[in-house]
Amino acid sequence: MSTANDYILRMERICKAFPGVQALENVDFTLKKGEIHCLVGENGAGKSTLIKVLTGVDKPESGRIILDGEEIQARSPQHAQALGISTVYQEINLCANLTVAENILIGREPLKFHSIDWKEMNAAAIEILHRLLDIDIDVTKPLSSYTVAIQQMVAIARALDITSAKILILDEPTSSLDANETQLLFKVMRKLKVDGVGIIFITHFIGQVYEISDRITVLRNGILVGTFETDTLPRVELIAKMIGRSLADLDEMSSIKLESSKRIAIDAILKAKSLGRAGSIKPFDLELHSREVLGLAGLLGSGRTETAKILFGADKPDTGQIEFNGKSVTDFSPLGAIKRGIALCPEDRKAEGIVDDLTVRENIILAVQANKGWFRYLSTQEQYEIADTYIKMLNIATPTADQPLKNLSGGNQQKVILARWLATNPQVLILDEPTRGIDVGTKAEIQKLVLKLAEEGMACLFISSELEEVLRTSHRIAVLREREKVAEYSGEVDENTIMHAIAGSEI
Amino acid sequence: MIRRISNFISNNRRFIPLSATALLAIIAYGLGAIFFVGMRNPQVFLNLFRNSSYLLISAVGMTLVIISGGIDLSVSGIVVLTTVVSAALLQNNWNPWVVILFVLVMGMSLGAIMGSFIVYLKVQPFIATLAGMWFGRGLSFFISDNAINIDDRTFKIIGQTRILIPGLKELADRQGIPAPYISIPVLVAFLVFLVAFYLAHFTRFGRTIYAIGGNQQSARLMGLPVNRTLLQVYTFNGFCSAMAGLAFALFVSSGHGFYAPGFELDVIASVVIGGTLLSGGSGYVVGTLFGVMVLAISQALIQFIGSLSSWWTKIVIGVLMLSFIGVQALLANRKVGIKALDAQAVRQNRKKFALGFSAVVILVILAILITPKLGLFSPSSTTETQQCEVKPFRKDEAASLIEGGAVIAYHRLAGPNCVDEMYAIYPDGLVLGDNGERQLEKMVTPVDVELLLKTITEDYKWYGNEIRDSYHVPCRQCFAHYVIVAHDDKVKGTTAVDGGVNMPPEYGFTLSVIRPLLPEFNLSP
Amino acid sequence: MMHKKTPLTWRKITENRLFFPLVALFLILLFDFIFIPGFFAIENRDGNLYGSLIDIMRNGSTVSLLAIGMTLVIATGGIDLSVGAVMAISASVAGILMNPSALKSEVFFVTDPTYTFQPLWIVIGVALIVALFCGMWNGFLVAFMKIQPMVATLVLMIAGRGIAQLITNGLRVQITYKPFSYIGQGWIILPFSLYIVVFVLIVTSLLTRKTAFGLFIESVGINFRSSFFSGIKEKNIKFTVYALCGLCAGIAGLVACSNVKTSDANNIGLFNELDAILAVVIGGTSMSGGRFSLVASIVGALVMQAVTQSMYALGVPPFALQAIKAVVVIIVIMLFSEQFKGFVRNLGAKKKEVKP
Repeated sequence: MSTANDYILRMERICKAFPGVQALENVDFTLKKGEIHCLVGENGAGKSTLIKVLTGVDKPESGRIILDGEEIQARSPQHAQALGISTVYQEINLCANLTVAENILIGREPLKFHSIDWKEMNAAAIEILHRLLDIDIDVTKPLSSYTVAIQQMVAIARALDITSAKILILDEPTSSLDANETQLLFKVMRKLKVDGVGIIFITHFIGQVYEISDRITVLRNGILVGTFETDTLPRVELIAKMIGRSLADLDEMSSIKLESSKRIAIDAILKAKSLGRAGSIKPFDLELHSREVLGLAGLLGSGRTETAKILFGADKPDTGQIEFNGKSVTDFSPLGAIKRGIALCPEDRKAEGIVDDLTVRENIILAVQANKGWFRYLSTQEQYEIADTYIKMLNIATPTADQPLKNLSGGNQQKVILARWLATNPQVLILDEPTRGIDVGTKAEIQKLVLKLAEEGMACLFISSELEEVLRTSHRIAVLREREKVAEYSGEVDENTIMHAIAGSEI
Repeated sequence: MIRRISNFISNNRRFIPLSATALLAIIAYGLGAIFFVGMRNPQVFLNLFRNSSYLLISAVGMTLVIISGGIDLSVSGIVVLTTVVSAALLQNNWNPWVVILFVLVMGMSLGAIMGSFIVYLKVQPFIATLAGMWFGRGLSFFISDNAINIDDRTFKIIGQTRILIPGLKELADRQGIPAPYISIPVLVAFLVFLVAFYLAHFTRFGRTIYAIGGNQQSARLMGLPVNRTLLQVYTFNGFCSAMAGLAFALFVSSGHGFYAPGFELDVIASVVIGGTLLSGGSGYVVGTLFGVMVLAISQALIQFIGSLSSWWTKIVIGVLMLSFIGVQALLANRKVGIKALDAQAVRQNRKKFALGFSAVVILVILAILITPKLGLFSPSSTTETQQCEVKPFRKDEAASLIEGGAVIAYHRLAGPNCVDEMYAIYPDGLVLGDNGERQLEKMVTPVDVELLLKTITEDYKWYGNEIRDSYHVPCRQCFAHYVIVAHDDKVKGTTAVDGGVNMPPEYGFTLSVIRPLLPEFNLSP
Repeated sequence: MMHKKTPLTWRKITENRLFFPLVALFLILLFDFIFIPGFFAIENRDGNLYGSLIDIMRNGSTVSLLAIGMTLVIATGGIDLSVGAVMAISASVAGILMNPSALKSEVFFVTDPTYTFQPLWIVIGVALIVALFCGMWNGFLVAFMKIQPMVATLVLMIAGRGIAQLITNGLRVQITYKPFSYIGQGWIILPFSLYIVVFVLIVTSLLTRKTAFGLFIESVGINFRSSFFSGIKEKNIKFTVYALCGLCAGIAGLVACSNVKTSDANNIGLFNELDAILAVVIGGTSMSGGRFSLVASIVGALVMQAVTQSMYALGVPPFALQAIKAVVVIIVIMLFSEQFKGFVRNLGAKKKEVKP
């Protein structure tokens, strides 16, 4: 049985708020010595915030952290490292231009008569890699000549060597690894486990969670859903806890949906046949009909955004073809998509949507203007008219249309981006996580809006990691798993069936 | 066998730019030696180093700055400031060794100041060092408008000592040619080179520089002393700039704010051609050595060809830089974790481009060597053997000519044949000319002289505000002028340079009316 | 909706892009007013105005022209170091087209003011077309070959002077053709070059503000990935701004060489690229790209020129001036740092109660 002494880490009632959103609310988390503990949750669940609090990047409003019996508050990542908490992030924080040995030992290189002793350094690096991780590689080659998997190993080796680590945090380490490389990482993790290091493993690959972890903690919307022994939690239940059960609701939305489903167009406006792109998404078939909302469900990393981008036309497919209104698509570019009448509201609004120094008005008319080209400039009057229409329609909270977009809250920024695409009067609207980071009330607004747009003639592709809203809004649902389309259901599907499809297990 | 070679190459890929430059230098010199007998003289080879010792010193420091991800445009400003300060201090009879120490400390301080701006005030290196360059040059002009000669014995000895190379001396004696030699600045340059090499590869300071250049954020997260190291890099470069300034001062035996215009570009070009990436994180000090040699060899080749004028050097350097940058741009962009399939295709393309560019570079060199022989270019008037060391104007001498009765004294310098001519025009029509080797006389009528004076003083308003000093370093073909006009109890002497942006047009017209009266030394072919 | 004019608060004034550059200009002119007697004197000779203030505008016209093109380039997040060299190239082309005899003989001074080898419109047209091509070359390297702007334009900066010298065979060509000299030295109440600057400013303003071009430039500079996804062809935008910058440099080159009546490949435009970049920075356009203001950049150019002119009037040796410019630059940069700007803005704000 586990006693209090087995716990190397206890985080109690951690609360953290950012302007406009409560990132963590009374979250508890514990870690045992020699344990691999997975932290799971969809985007915005609070995983990274929890880690940032632990490693001293952010300070919590309340709660306490007890490391090996002592209460601590890390002031910075360096301080956390000194306390024994080592972190390896998804972006490898090493210098790829230096050799492996240097990356492990830089700042602490062995010296001989005040000069760097390369021979000694290389030997020490080999010894460290062997002792800590049981791997052997040529340490004199530059880090960049190795795959990401090996680079991660080197990052881990450095992290562990600096101070004998008590806790190792691995943040999404397997995202860029293939199956063999992942096994290599797991081998290393198991060795560390034997050595008594406590490992916090954050991942969105459910299969891996079951393969390697001892316990699982699930977060959702900043709240702790629960901590479970891996052996005792069926996969389907895990999914349910992560993305929520659908409410058996008979509210107006489902009746609208039922009504409108009768009017869905017979012919597909967008037909994808064997459409695929190496490394992104395996070849799939998909059809979108006017007046229909097609939902795309699946976990993070299953290929949803890649599907969205390839259907939009931002990415060029390697195989297959797309037909729009019967004609084969050849111009794969955002402008081509807009001209055709397809719109994509992107998932990463910060990197691909927002132009933060421009005003709300300018952001809204941007795609429309891009379509018109350089010389047919919308007059100021027209711009304000368009902006006002959408500010009203989407209930965007902004004092004037001339506010720089960066001054608006996240949810309102998302609405502005949505407005930008609606303004192009598209025939097909693809929405990738449109309600992420938005308050509950607005979420419902947007879901209703999507159904309304469909009713007015648009074909909508609705992508979300919240299963309940996908179910609530869609006439039909396609399921993705590990970059492959695995199933398609009608909107009245049983939620258990969908979860099984997402989880990949038998009913 | 082939596989072993290709394995070797891909394992040591990072040395490719360096090897490319070295190969380029060797090929260029080899081709030169084939086409030109003169280049086979070992002294010519050694002169490459003698002439570019200051470039090497500065480029070595710049290499470290660029590897750290920054850039330093102030080098020419500090070089020039160093020449002027040393010249001025020596004129005031300071001990030469103290002077040397002083300017080195000055260079380091300026480097440290710029480094602080960059690191603590977060000013972009481009702007901070640009301000540094202006500051350095401007400050030299506060010290002196005109060039200051260096007459100090110690400096002269350091600058002109010939260091014979053991082994080659005996060879030369046997062949009856003068023994090849190098100078002290060359030794200093190599010393600085070795120090930089040691720093870069055997000290934590050096490795931190590479880390910062590779990924500054990671370097910080890894706990490296980023701020301190950056400060030290810029300080070191300040030291190198000052040292280069000393070498340059020894070369031209004077100090002036106008020297070395565009020097920083030559330095950066040497570093880039030497294989260092401008984005930072990669590059070798050895590569810079070869880069400097490539520049020096290009210059030598063009001189030997003779019929091409010096601006070709600039074009050649520009083309070389472009090729190297182009290849760099293609070989870089190595994203971590690039998928196997894409990587293969990209590698193929890169190989093609790399080969293409190398071919272009070699073609350019061959073209430059061969086309003059086809007589496509009309020979221009010059065969320059070395940069014209523009001396200061002998204003006192000119003034004494006026006191001796001349109405116009005219000192002319530089020009295509690097002349030094002093003329005097007397009211009785006598015109004297002296170019240091010969003296000529010419008689014109007093009326001519009257008319001349009238035109200059009334039509061109010599004594007005429009005519003022506008001297700067002349271009290769240009002359520098100093004219004193004495008329109606008014005496005024003004400097100018042909085609100077600031040269008053009326000055040019003045020269055009003086010229016909002067005797000619018949130097142009 | 609420588009009515919000009250003119201190905050609104200080947020306007022109505020800081104008303050800088004001401070320098104030300094001149106090310390340099007669600086503000304006004479009227034969209907034309002369004086130090006029000189500032006239001598600053080359940098103003460069600043217009440079603003657009910097607004996309790039930089163009080659403008000085392009000035030299355009000056050389113009010189050769007016006076090719200079290539053959040693006679540098052609004194006939009505002589020109080619008619004026060809001279100007060809020079500008060549400058445009230089800009397009830069645009090609940056937009399509994806080479870093600093590096790509550095190449032309080095090679360009060589090319300019190649065109004139190394000689500086004397220009005496009177109508051409008018460009830099003519006077219609105010110096003619001023009208050129105003003309280019108006045309560029119309191009950027009356079409979507300006909006796209700003969008690309702020976030080019978002712009790409919104359907903006950022490659085309970048290519065009470099081409325009080259064209502006060409015009500036013609003004400069007509000012000195020669086309000196070594010296025309020397260091002007640095002045232009500084004018843009002083004008408040961020070097990482985004919002820009052409007028503010010209104010920046005038600030630089006013500093230069005041120093001349104070008797500072002409080339020592660079040291002063360096200090001014550092001060300006520090003034523009976000901390300082925030401090000034808060001066006008009423003190708020701090929540417990």
